[in-house]
Amino acid sequence: MKSSDFKRINPYLYEIPASHRADMRVPARFYADAELLQQALGDKSLDQLANSATLPGIVAYALAMPDIHQGYGFPIGGVVATRVPDGVISPGGVGYDINCGVRLLGTRLSRQDVAPYLDDLATQLQRNCPHGVGRGGEFVLGRKQLEDVARKGARWALDRGYATETDLERTEESGCIAGADPSKISARAFERAGDQLGTLGSGNHFIEVDVVDEIFDDAAADRMGLFTGQIVVQIHCGSRGFGHQVCTDYVARFQRVVNQYGIVLPDRELVCAPLSSPEGQDYLAAMKGAANFAFANRQLLTHLIRRSFEDALAGKVADCSIYQVYDIAHNMAKIEEHEVDGRRVRVCVHRKGATRAFGPGSPVLPEIYRDIGQPVFVPGSMGTASWVLVGTEGSMAQSFGSTCHGAGRMMSRSRAKREVQGSDLRHELEARGIRVRAGSLSGLAEEAPQAYKDVDRVIEVVHGAGIARKVARLVPVAVVKG
Amino acid sequence: MKRMVDDPNNEDIRIIEHTADWALRLRGRDLKELFAHAAEGMAYLLAGDVASLHLEHARDVVLESHDAEELLVLWLGEMAYWAERDGLVFPEVILYEITPVKLVGTVRGGRPPELQKHIKAVTYHDLAIRRIGEGLEVTVVFDV
Repeated sequence: MKSSDFKRINPYLYEIPASHRADMRVPARFYADAELLQQALGDKSLDQLANSATLPGIVAYALAMPDIHQGYGFPIGGVVATRVPDGVISPGGVGYDINCGVRLLGTRLSRQDVAPYLDDLATQLQRNCPHGVGRGGEFVLGRKQLEDVARKGARWALDRGYATETDLERTEESGCIAGADPSKISARAFERAGDQLGTLGSGNHFIEVDVVDEIFDDAAADRMGLFTGQIVVQIHCGSRGFGHQVCTDYVARFQRVVNQYGIVLPDRELVCAPLSSPEGQDYLAAMKGAANFAFANRQLLTHLIRRSFEDALAGKVADCSIYQVYDIAHNMAKIEEHEVDGRRVRVCVHRKGATRAFGPGSPVLPEIYRDIGQPVFVPGSMGTASWVLVGTEGSMAQSFGSTCHGAGRMMSRSRAKREVQGSDLRHELEARGIRVRAGSLSGLAEEAPQAYKDVDRVIEVVHGAGIARKVARLVPVAVVKG
Repeated sequence: MKRMVDDPNNEDIRIIEHTADWALRLRGRDLKELFAHAAEGMAYLLAGDVASLHLEHARDVVLESHDAEELLVLWLGEMAYWAERDGLVFPEVILYEITPVKLVGTVRGGRPPELQKHIKAVTYHDLAIRRIGEGLEVTVVFDV
């Protein structure tokens, strides 16, 4: 992709016209500023965005958020909406980590309250919350129980005392997507999931204790219970091996039928089938089951984080209770209603590394947030800031109610490992007052801050473009890495 | 002499730069050698140097597919599954039969002290087994 292949629509939005390639059905648009644009041109992400514009039934345009980077099939940061029911659904357009997402937990504690006990808190989080490659957890479930988790999501945890009603109310889809069908999920997926509920996994997943550094929207922050200097906790993880296997199974199954539907694609990882087909319907039902597993997973980790705060702080601070701010998904396909060319239409919105960001007034938002818009959480790279945003009217009008999901990688994992020593990075973060508990030093090096784009710049773009609004900036004080 | 995977002169198995994930470029004189190198490369990604691994586990594998690329994804998908479920990696393979649509073989491997990487899945991204000179080449992208 060259700069002559696209045009600038406004200071934050660029468009690759549909005429760029014969197989593009719609234009492709991406959000960036000058520097993020140069970074996007550094890998194949914009070509992948153009590829996603070839999907049958796509409406309006293929979109990418400013944290776009090269993935496989879709770019990470991609948003594609397809017509219901005759458009397609693409498992690769959701990704292997179905319902990977972020949950934000609030406390009644200030930085000063926790400072004397921060080391112990980090250690308790590390001890109680299983993390890293191959680590199972304390919730070992059989097939029938896992089927229940796939049907009920976070409600499964509520039924067993691991959640509160408020936790569920403040979760996208109330923590349970209707229509999940465990019979559409393979035996292998259930085998992979056996001891993985309530575990963080590895890669870029983490639990992070943050301090609210700055508030940008007093009313929205107040509604979320956020105040300057407050201790909050982020969880970033997804559906573990359960979701990975669901995606693997359906990418393979779709490969075998894509030709019979007459679909020609530029990349096999974009494989898809009509939403109304048996394969499309089966995938949707299985994906919902994996999404529910992820909601339950983050809920059980919430339970373990509550236990960690009790273990480290009970009797030492006035109140170590934790409340849920919200929980969002950033790898998902959902049937939603949006305005396209002046008409309300039902579409299947694929978000792969993009966050739903519904604006004020949306009836699917919990009442407490309905007038401010949906809370959105955007983690930065390790050691840098993270952001709390809200969805806007602009996100509804421009981006199918979507915004960015993170900082976005710009350096390969192998290069990061060559250039960064995990032990040096840990010392550097510790010197800045950030406690680090990592599954492995090489994994830590792969996630070094220099491997990522500047999250503050990404946020300026989505805020400037009007597809989300700044509420608060968070800075880390302790991190448990997968 | 067999080359280590991290040897920069190893043309059969090479780790390729990829922004978000890991990729391997694999070469072999034929499908049999290509698939053997794929297993060896994946074992390296999962567990690092496996030279000292006790090969005390064996699994028989029979796979059928529509084409050679799908067969490769299924083949490496088995390795990812065993690594996650059982903590085992399988760097050695004996392939009794291999065509673009069928594979029959045995893999031998063991349990490394720790897995260095979790591979979520083997992708079809730009996956094409190409003929180069007298042999075959493919690049496989893994989701990690």
